[in-house]
Amino acid sequence: MVSTFASMADFLAPAQASFPEGVGSVTLAHYLFVSVAMFTMGLIGFLTRRNLIIMFLCTEMMFQAAGIALIAFSRFYLHHTGQSFVIFVLTVAAAEAALALALVVLLFRGRESLNADQWHSLKG
Amino acid sequence: MSSLLVLLAPEIVLFITTCIVMIVGLWPKLEVRSLAMPIAGMGLLIAGVLAINTPANPESILPNIIPYAKAMTAGVGLLLVLLLAGTVDRSYEAAVERGELRFNPIHTNRAEFFAFFLFSLTGLMLCASATDLIWLFLALELVSLPTYVMATISTRKLRSQEAGVKYFFLGALGAAIFLYGFALLYGGTGTTNLIGIRDALAEQAASGGINPIAMAGIILSLIGISFKIAAVPMHFYTADVYQGAAAPVSAMLAFVPKTAGFIAMMGILAAVGWQYAPGGETLAADGVGTLPRSIYVTLAAIAVLTMTVGNVLALLQRSIKRLLAYSSIAHTGYMLVALIAGPSIAAEAGITSNGLGAVLFYLLVYGVTNIGTFAVVACLERPQPDGEADELDDLEDLRGLCRTRPVLGWVMVICALGLLGLPPLLGFWAKFLLFTSAISAGEIALVVILGLNSAIAAFYYLKLVTLPLLEEPEGDAPATTPFASRTFAGVLSAALVLLAIIPTGIVDAAMEAADRAGTIVPANIEAIERSITAEALRDEPTPIIDR
Amino acid sequence: MQTTTPQLAETIGALGLGAADTGAALEVATGPAWAMLIPMLPLLGAAIMGVCAIMGVRSKLPAWITVGLLGFSAVLAAAMYAWLPENGRAVSVAWEWINVSWGDEPGQTLKANFGFYIDSLTCLWMLFVTLLATLIALYASEYMSHDLGAGYCRFFAAFNLFVFSMACLVMGDNLLLLFLGWEGVGLCSYLLIGYHYKKHSAVFAAKKAFIVNRIGDLGLLLGVFLTFVHFGTLEYKDLFPMVQPYIEAMRQGAVGDIPAVVQLIPVLLMIGAFGKSAQLPLFVWLPDAMEGPTPVSALIHAATMVTAGVYLIARMYPLFLVSEWALPIVAWVGGLTALVAATIAMAQFDIKRIMAYSTVSQLGFMFCGLAFLSSVGGAFHVVTHAFFKATLFLCCGAVMHGFAGQLDLRKLSGVSFMKGWGIVGIAMFIGCLNLAGFPFTAGYFSKDMILAEAFITPGPGYQFLGVILLLTAGITAYYTFRVFFRVFVGPKQFEPGDELHGHDGHIDDHHEEHGSASRATEADEGHTPGDHEPMGGSVEERGKKTHEHPEHFHPHAPGWAINGVLATLAILSVLAAALYFFPGADKSHKGWAGGMISGSSAALVVGGEADHPTRLAAFVGAEPEQGTLFGQDPHKIMYYVSGVIGFVGIAIAFALHYAGRKESERSAANNLLQVKPIRTAHRWANAKWYVDELYDFALRKPLWAASQIFHLIDKLLIDGLVNLVGYLPRALGKGVRPSQSGVLHSYAAAMAGGLAVILLIVLLLSL
Repeated sequence: MVSTFASMADFLAPAQASFPEGVGSVTLAHYLFVSVAMFTMGLIGFLTRRNLIIMFLCTEMMFQAAGIALIAFSRFYLHHTGQSFVIFVLTVAAAEAALALALVVLLFRGRESLNADQWHSLKG
Repeated sequence: MSSLLVLLAPEIVLFITTCIVMIVGLWPKLEVRSLAMPIAGMGLLIAGVLAINTPANPESILPNIIPYAKAMTAGVGLLLVLLLAGTVDRSYEAAVERGELRFNPIHTNRAEFFAFFLFSLTGLMLCASATDLIWLFLALELVSLPTYVMATISTRKLRSQEAGVKYFFLGALGAAIFLYGFALLYGGTGTTNLIGIRDALAEQAASGGINPIAMAGIILSLIGISFKIAAVPMHFYTADVYQGAAAPVSAMLAFVPKTAGFIAMMGILAAVGWQYAPGGETLAADGVGTLPRSIYVTLAAIAVLTMTVGNVLALLQRSIKRLLAYSSIAHTGYMLVALIAGPSIAAEAGITSNGLGAVLFYLLVYGVTNIGTFAVVACLERPQPDGEADELDDLEDLRGLCRTRPVLGWVMVICALGLLGLPPLLGFWAKFLLFTSAISAGEIALVVILGLNSAIAAFYYLKLVTLPLLEEPEGDAPATTPFASRTFAGVLSAALVLLAIIPTGIVDAAMEAADRAGTIVPANIEAIERSITAEALRDEPTPIIDR
Repeated sequence: MQTTTPQLAETIGALGLGAADTGAALEVATGPAWAMLIPMLPLLGAAIMGVCAIMGVRSKLPAWITVGLLGFSAVLAAAMYAWLPENGRAVSVAWEWINVSWGDEPGQTLKANFGFYIDSLTCLWMLFVTLLATLIALYASEYMSHDLGAGYCRFFAAFNLFVFSMACLVMGDNLLLLFLGWEGVGLCSYLLIGYHYKKHSAVFAAKKAFIVNRIGDLGLLLGVFLTFVHFGTLEYKDLFPMVQPYIEAMRQGAVGDIPAVVQLIPVLLMIGAFGKSAQLPLFVWLPDAMEGPTPVSALIHAATMVTAGVYLIARMYPLFLVSEWALPIVAWVGGLTALVAATIAMAQFDIKRIMAYSTVSQLGFMFCGLAFLSSVGGAFHVVTHAFFKATLFLCCGAVMHGFAGQLDLRKLSGVSFMKGWGIVGIAMFIGCLNLAGFPFTAGYFSKDMILAEAFITPGPGYQFLGVILLLTAGITAYYTFRVFFRVFVGPKQFEPGDELHGHDGHIDDHHEEHGSASRATEADEGHTPGDHEPMGGSVEERGKKTHEHPEHFHPHAPGWAINGVLATLAILSVLAAALYFFPGADKSHKGWAGGMISGSSAALVVGGEADHPTRLAAFVGAEPEQGTLFGQDPHKIMYYVSGVIGFVGIAIAFALHYAGRKESERSAANNLLQVKPIRTAHRWANAKWYVDELYDFALRKPLWAASQIFHLIDKLLIDGLVNLVGYLPRALGKGVRPSQSGVLHSYAAAMAGGLAVILLIVLLLSL
């Protein structure tokens, strides 16, 4: 177990370094923790909730987790690549949201329900 | 910048075509709306011709892939356009023609279909040109988003909507995973440019191993993209979606996202490189190597599980589309083996040892052959009480098809044998290259498993052969769709499977396309130096369309 | 060693040229390109027959085309003989056939051209093959006329194909082409035996012939394979010089220097020869092969194809000479076959079958001739036999054709005296004289050449074999004339067979034969044994009683084609004797045939005069013979001995079957059969020494039992395994299937789970 922790420390080694310009004691690792937490919460939400809209919002949360990581890395490396990536991610997320809402409307018409578990006629 | 525009010419053509198709689709007159298909086909044809003449892009991680990948996209796209003929709103359009209903552009989706389809193909082409993670992400999303819509609206049945909901939500999950992977990969290397990533990873590997964040990014990206290629553990949606969607859309789903996924995976793996020594993560001195160990183990496990799961589940199916869906999973597994084998970095690399070329060729062959089998399903239908015809999808419906519907029956027989890889059909050569590339890379265990799986696959492919060919037909001949172009698409693919006896030209093109993929090994520097110039590439025959 | 007797000089002459001119002798000239037309014309003919069949030709056109093409082939064969170069051998390559290389070393290239080796042996064989094929095709044009249409075309297509295959076999310049021809003639034989494919017995006979031949072919194939492995070539022109050192070693008595593999090759080739030439123990197929139409029996199963074994040994004679065992085995197998087949022939009633057994017997003589180092005798007998046996068969065929398939010698009598049957009778008589070895017939001379050698060639028990062969010669004379006296002379009586032309009779060609044979067997075991059933009553009455035939059956006499061919063949078989006296190219050998052999590979032996018998002595362990018999030229002695034996045989036949058959029950033959030992022997011989039953018991039954056991194993184990193999993936699939529950959330959970597992694995791997 000790070795595991040591390796976890190694794993986070690049992230432990603080940002180049003083953002106080907040390091890259903090942002990454937030990002991972968001991603995990999104995943857990996706797995546990049955409402299609909430499930979709959970995937949005996972997208935004990636966005946070990207911005943190961008700041860490002091260039704009990550930030511009985030712009595109947001755009795609918006497109996906439009698609999702249209889909949800269509699905609601079909089954009069937003429960994802209703859809299980195709299997095997 | 202008050079980039030259590279993107096919995509630009496709985009313009898409716009035209969308506008044409809103026209009140049926004759004009019917032009959507010819226009889409014309656009693809132009894009394909432009693609063949596209120069190599030295700034790309896969510098030579563009002409082959885009021409393949356009070629298979042409077959798919033929197959996609016939719309879900057939009864609505008929009612409008009879004057029973007023034309409402909202209710027609004849052209939307082709527009979405062309968008998806544009995304696929963009995947091939991608030099950057951002670009790759956008391209992959552009491939997928239209397909969600297409699957959902391909029929008016609830099963299509179910397919849509599963496909979309799980797809979004997959996208989130590979997006997070891309973010970590960026974090671990400090750049989103694939060549930059390649250099950074090589530097890290040379000085003590790849950064864990980058490694996590690679793994997450690969698993996320596994959704596109329908590999374990992201394969669950496949059968449900293929069964729920209309057969032409399923045929498209089996080719377009899969190809996009494989090209994206190739790009990422090319950035990682196949030059690591089997034991650790250092550069192999002798130029014989493989992927970093953890990636290798991950991919090998995925490959074995994918082909096995696909094949054993296909054995149990009664629905043709489900069977083909599981077989599509199995084919993904086969291709992963060659992907693991990678481009041969040994000095005496020959045509039979380039795994990436084998994958590219296999994708084309699989796409064409698969269209044939799906075309048969798309052509058979049964009138339903509600007036909308429904596809015949049961294996029993194939019984005696060679006698009742000889053309469709033989298309099914030939294409099933092609998928099985029977010599001398096209499928055999594709599989042959997979085997040889994997053997020359020393992946004997994987090759053995591949062989065993091919044997299992024979069980269910032979069902598709014996049922139409050897069994007596039962009852009346099944009805067929009024869309002749679907049959034409099937016949065309069967003819390709049958007639392209030894497709040397295409194989050479595929090998050419995979050349210099992510080359940083000293042994390969010579190869780079004597690599083909843009002029030579222009002369390169990529006879996907002319065949 | 002092030898001045002419026969030994002949032996040595036959064995080879002097050592000095080896180099020159083995040079091979380039043959003429038109030689390839000899096989190609029949092939063209086969193709034309196919076209005729498609076009639905219902005339005799196919026959005329065949006769024309084969005749042209025969002319070309004669031209080839005339062309024959000074040093005696040439190769003419039609095209490159197989040329596979897997290395630069010698022996790593498999080369087999579609090329023809032209030497006097080839010419000898091709001359009689093409000539007989032409004549018999002419005969068949009439004989098969009841089958005009598709069947006619089919017959002539196979006929042409046979000549093509035979030409490949004989003319091929390598063992692979020989093998191709070998298989080709086997296939055509199969097709033609099974010509009446709706008849059960014909199909069975065809299958039997094919299967028995496969055993021989396996031997041949192994032999060819070993030849290639050892010598690295299959082409005669390269092969024969390579054998020379071994012959030299044999000459020096250094048998130990010859590798075992080289000694094994001839033994394997020999098995092939025994299969094709119907020798013990593989002879059982030939009598059954008589199910085929008679022209086929005459051409394939008497004159040409069955001599392929003799040809093979003659062609590969150098290899046989370097083996210690090959030729003695050939001698003993040949001798015993000759005797066994002759005894069986004595007790048969079906005249065509008798001829078949006599063919087997005579083939035994030919093998003996080869084994007694008299390849001249063997080859000469092949030629004379081809003519007189074809004559005999075609006569039988004419009888069968005229009497509605009747072949039982108890039911025919005095055929020669019937109107229009004169030529048949005379031809038959000439054929019988030849076969019986009546003095001054061709058969007499050729048989003598073999018989005499038996007594002077040193070898294991060769003298005893000589006695056996003499006895066989006597038996041959007896059964030959038994047929003649019963069927062709005597009071005019007949009973038609049940095959009537024009009333789909051809479908069961000679069904009657089987019926009568089985009836005869029952009669034998039941009460009166004998080969003379009472023949009382008028023909018409019997016809009504036993068969549902029309009231008036008139045997139809042969037409001009059959008569013409029979006359020609009879004359040719008489003239064949002249070949014995006619001087050949090489004056030092007796007759034309000797000259033909001496210039070919059958004599391609380099050996000094004195050394040769020594080499045989080396493994016989005996002093070399003096080369004389009772102090005389053995051939001269044999003229008298075999002449007398022939007379005795004919006399016994006359006594039993002509003079003694007047009273049915009290006939001489029947009286003789009352003697217990003769009766038993007769019964055994009648039952063909139970060889078929022996095969049935020793091979078929155990094989059947074994197959049952294997079937059981197959069912339990293999099927079980296969089922398991089929079952495992399905079981696996059923195990995995629940994962495809169709529920979105379980999919998502499984995906996330999979992701987690993979990340865990990667983490563990990175530690």
